[in-house]
Amino acid sequence: MVGNDIVDINEAKSASNWQRPRFLEKLFTTKEQFTIRNAETPFLMVWQLWSMKEAAYKLYTQQHPSRFYNPKGFECSTEGAISMVRFKTFTCYVATQITPYYIISEARLDVQPITSKVIKFKNTTAKAQSKTIRNTVLKAAANVFGVSKTHLKISTSRHGVPSIHVKSKVQPLSLTHHGNYGAYAFC
Amino acid sequence: MENNELISKLKAIIKPYIQDEDAFKNLSEDTDFVKDLKINSANLVDIILDIEDEFDIRLENEDMEKMLDVKSAMAIVNTKLAG
Repeated sequence: MVGNDIVDINEAKSASNWQRPRFLEKLFTTKEQFTIRNAETPFLMVWQLWSMKEAAYKLYTQQHPSRFYNPKGFECSTEGAISMVRFKTFTCYVATQITPYYIISEARLDVQPITSKVIKFKNTTAKAQSKTIRNTVLKAAANVFGVSKTHLKISTSRHGVPSIHVKSKVQPLSLTHHGNYGAYAFC
Repeated sequence: MENNELISKLKAIIKPYIQDEDAFKNLSEDTDFVKDLKINSANLVDIILDIEDEFDIRLENEDMEKMLDVKSAMAIVNTKLAG
């Protein structure tokens, strides 16, 4: 199982304002707010922690099919080189990569390097982006699983959790998009 | 508050964040913020903060947890206004 989340840095700058009143208090625990305020670049820390929480949520909902909005319930912590996110009794490991253009996080049940493939969209509508990312996943999956695209299908559960059907087998899949960037990861 | 009045106030709040115009035009109580309107989850918190400002209420974590569709938003606002 895998959960991922991408943040387009330009989009985060223009479409969100982390400094608006009560924004941090709504999304982050007291500890996380402390980490943000003491970070060298608070803006980047806000969106790094956000992407970690979202990636963890996507992994959690693969394991526990459900749908809810509780970013504050997912608490990020870092011990040495390892980052974790906890939600109630659930714990996962999250790897994050920060570039000048995007931040990507990938959550797994054990420590693993990032496998997510990033896509830069040429189109801007949500529908077109969704189509592009699905086509890219099908192409990549056909290669990885050694089957033709006609034997592959992407489906989304009623809780919004995607998966990829490889013949009769169902493989976990995680999709993410924000602004001009998208990414996918499957197992 | 009348349902129609509440829906039109919510529509005005949601509008800046939507990414599917058709779904927005056909907005009803059953419209889902993420599945239908394609609102990015990073902007759900802005909708929550805008609702707090518009209705002069404060939403707790338990309220936010359900804020995924128009129906839930209406129920939460009505409960807070009654309380």
